[in-house]
Formats: sequence, C-alpha cells, structure tokens
Amino acid sequence: MLEAGAFVINYILDMGPSVMLPIVITILSIALGVKPGKAIRAGLMIGVGFVGLGLIVGLMNEQLGPAAQAMSDRFGLSLSVVDIGWPGMSPITWSSNIATIAIPVAILVNIIMLVTKLTHTVNIDIWNIWHMTFTGAVAYAVTGNFALGILGVVIHAAISYKLGDLWAPLMADYFELDGITSPHGTSAYMAPYACFVDWVIEKIPGMRDVDFSADSLEEKVGVLAEPVVIGFILGSVIGFLGGYNLQQALPLGVTMSAVMVLMPKVVKCIMEGLMPLSEKAKVIMNERFDGEQYYIGLDPAILLGDSQVVAAGLIFIPLTLLIAVLVPGNRVLPFGDLATIGFFIAISVAVHKGNLFRTLFSGSLIMFVTIWIANQTIPWMTKLAETTGSLGDATAIAALDQGGCPITYVYTQALTFENVAGMIVIATTYIVCLVFAVMHSRKRAAELSEMDGE
Amino acid sequence: MKKKVIVACGGAIATSTVASNAIMEIAKKNGIDVEICQCRISEIPSNLDGADLIVPTGRVKRDFGVPTIPGTPFISGVGVDKLEEKIVSVLSE
Repeated sequence: MLEAGAFVINYILDMGPSVMLPIVITILSIALGVKPGKAIRAGLMIGVGFVGLGLIVGLMNEQLGPAAQAMSDRFGLSLSVVDIGWPGMSPITWSSNIATIAIPVAILVNIIMLVTKLTHTVNIDIWNIWHMTFTGAVAYAVTGNFALGILGVVIHAAISYKLGDLWAPLMADYFELDGITSPHGTSAYMAPYACFVDWVIEKIPGMRDVDFSADSLEEKVGVLAEPVVIGFILGSVIGFLGGYNLQQALPLGVTMSAVMVLMPKVVKCIMEGLMPLSEKAKVIMNERFDGEQYYIGLDPAILLGDSQVVAAGLIFIPLTLLIAVLVPGNRVLPFGDLATIGFFIAISVAVHKGNLFRTLFSGSLIMFVTIWIANQTIPWMTKLAETTGSLGDATAIAALDQGGCPITYVYTQALTFENVAGMIVIATTYIVCLVFAVMHSRKRAAELSEMDGE
Repeated sequence: MKKKVIVACGGAIATSTVASNAIMEIAKKNGIDVEICQCRISEIPSNLDGADLIVPTGRVKRDFGVPTIPGTPFISGVGVDKLEEKIVSVLSE
C-alpha cells in the first residue's frame, strides 16, 4: 500500500511542476470547499503560468545573458549572471516540492502564533507565502533534506509574522492603513536596515535636518518610468556596451521590452489559479480572527502607489546598477527586479516618514547588502532552478528578490557552512538592525497613541 | 457603452488580479459592460485614454483626472460592500 502510494507520488513529481502543482492546488481547493470545475480550472491556470514563465525566462537568459557576458568582458566587469527578479523566482519557488505543503504549514504557524498570542498579524495573503517557501525550497535544494526545508518555511514564516507586528504602527501613521500590515517580502525584511540608518542620521547635526521629497518626479520622467521603456533602454545599452552594432542591439532592446511586458501577463495566471484557494483562506482567517487587536497581513503591493515610494523606486533604477558595479566581485546584473525596486524600500520610506534624503542612504545600504548576498546565492538559485526543471539553457541564474534575503542566506549557511565569515557578518548586523527596528516600532507606536490621545 | 476600468498594483501580478476578478463579478451582477485594463501603477498614465475609473490596490495620491477608488478592501476583505457601492455608482453614470 505504502509502496503504491510512493510510486504514485513519484510518478506525478516526475512530470514536473506544470503538472504537479495544478494537481496539488486542485485537491487543496476542493478540500476547502471550492466546486470541482472551478478547482480544476484554477489548477490548470497554474500550469499555464509555469509553461509561460519557462518561455519568458528562457528568452531572457538566451538573449540578455550573452550580451551581459560580452559587456562584462569588454569593460573588465563581472556582471554575467542575469537577475531574473521576483516575477521569475516566485514561480520557480512554487514549483519546488516544498511548495506542496508550504501553504498549509505557513498558515498553521500563523494560527499557532495567534492562539499563543505571539503575533497579532493575521496573514490572508496566500501568494506571498512564496517568500517563506523560498527559504525552505533553497535549503531543500542545497541539502536534499526535506525536513530541514520545512523547518526553513516555519522559521521564515515566524519571522515574517513578527515583522508584520513591528511595521503595523508605520502602516497606520505613514501609509494611513489602519489595522493592516505587510509582513512578507523584501520590503518587510530589509526595513530593519533603514531603522539603523535613521538612528545614525538622527545623531548627525546638519544631516538630520535635511528633508526633501519628490512628488512630481514621476510626472517629469513620464514614459521613462514604464517597464516597457526601461526594458528597451537596458537591453539596447547593454547590447551596445557589449560591442553589438545597431542592427543587433535594437532587437535585444525590443526583446527585453517584451520580457518586461509579457512577464506579468503569464505570471498572473499563477495568481489566478491561487485565487479560489486564497479567497477561502481569507474568509476563514477573517472569521476566526476578527477584531481590533489584529492586523491583516497583505501584499506589499498596496504600498507601491505612495508617491515617495514611486520616486525612490525610480531613483534606484540607475542607482542599483551603479551599486552593482561597485560591489566587490559582483556577478549579478540587476534586471528582473529593476521595474519594481519599490518593493525593496517601501517600508524604509515609511521608516523615514517619506524623507527621500534618508531613503537614499538606507536604500543604498539595502541594495548593497542584497546584491552582496545575491552573489553568494547564485549556486543555490541555479540548483533550485535545476531541481525544479526551470533552468532551461542557462548555466547560472540570480535573483535579487529574494536571492538577496538575509534570512534565507543565514539559514542555509548555517546548514552548509560554505562561508562562515559571511554568515556571521550578515547574522550579527541583521540582528543588530532588528533591535533598532523594535526600538523604532515602539517609538512610532507611542507617537501614534499620543496623537490619538490629543 | 462599455466602461473602461484600470486596475493597477505594483507588479500587475498579484493584487490587481484579485481586484480585477472582483470588479468583473460586480459588473456582471449589475449588468454593466466593462473592459478591464490590468497594469502596473507606473503604467496608469499611458492607459488613461477612455478610462472611466481607476482602481489601484493601494493608495495613490496622484490625481489622474479620472475617478480613482482605492481597491484595498478587495485584498483585505474588509469594507467590500461599501467599495462595491462606490464602484457601481461611478460606472452607472
């Protein structure tokens, strides 16, 4: 009986993520009371997302990869590994075997922490469980140990919910989102660095008084801010720098425009497939944990419309490329995440209360750390893509979001000891910054209740 | 006449898909013919032609000259009824 079961499971796994995850999601959806027809459609949409993603990532690596290599060779740079970004990394994560049980595990950790009052964050966002899944999927791909993979999901999930609690006062006073928080993703886990930077700047006379914001920057740059244009410029400029002639460089530019435009169109199929499941989970969690003492955990996308976040996101497109050149020995060419740099700094903007001057400092530190870590995780990302059959013809891939995540990095380093010095440096600085984050969160909560009292 | 609704979020992948589906259902229920344009917030200005309503999933402070209603309740599940009323009233005009 057991053998037969194992045979069936392996048989399904061998067909790859475009079959495996649809089956898992269909079954999970039906179990939660979604109608079979709707559940099957949802499952198939996820499969469609995976197939589409394979095409786009393939196109990107095939075309941009050699151009980046040629550019690096000519200028003595080492930027030869393309950042596939979160639109590329999230589906790869979903296609890991860990993902099959990561959703229930992450929800269970949330419920246990809520019941034991360890957190007030009720996460109803199923899509972003991929961030927690990622830590587990990487650990599993690198060590081959499934239990350690699941433990990675548990640890990352627990930290995320605590971060959700920490950022809740900032959501209320800066973004004016009462009772809402954003526990997951780059924005939440990188913002502790901003708390440290904010504390340092407060101590420096002169600097602490500088405050500027850029409300109209978006209108001034116009279409330059659009991914379709960013893709074209980046593609053709890299082509030219790689020694391509006009006839070769322009097609590369248009192809990269296509990647930028088509990527969300195919990846959103995966979200569509997760919808019935996430609607049910939303209803269940909202009914069970309803009331003033809870914060609803939502996608950081709700923060990206803020004008200071938009402005900072624009400034950091060229700045991130510059930082990529400056990080010693860096091999990662930022690309897939460039159009959504706002995700890295959204909560940092709130930490600085919209002060763009300070965001420039904390954002630079955040991108430096991200790129530095993302470099060391290239082999892990490549291994993960390989084990999930998403590597295609590429020999190596990188991802800033979330291959540059300190939590994932420290966890997998602690299991493999590949770079002990690196692990200690990141772990200590991150923990120090977390202490500043706790202090900052308390200060903001106190300010908030004072304001309410008046 | 077909109404054009722009639904936007950070990456045009996750939250805007949730909001798009919700608006489609609301429109169907109320017999309103809609065309949804799902995009990133940075792409709103280029899609403004003929738009009747903008629903960003977060707060957008910039004024686009088109009625803008934050669609955050679709994501959180809190205050959906009120949001539905607002959307229907704009689209029924």
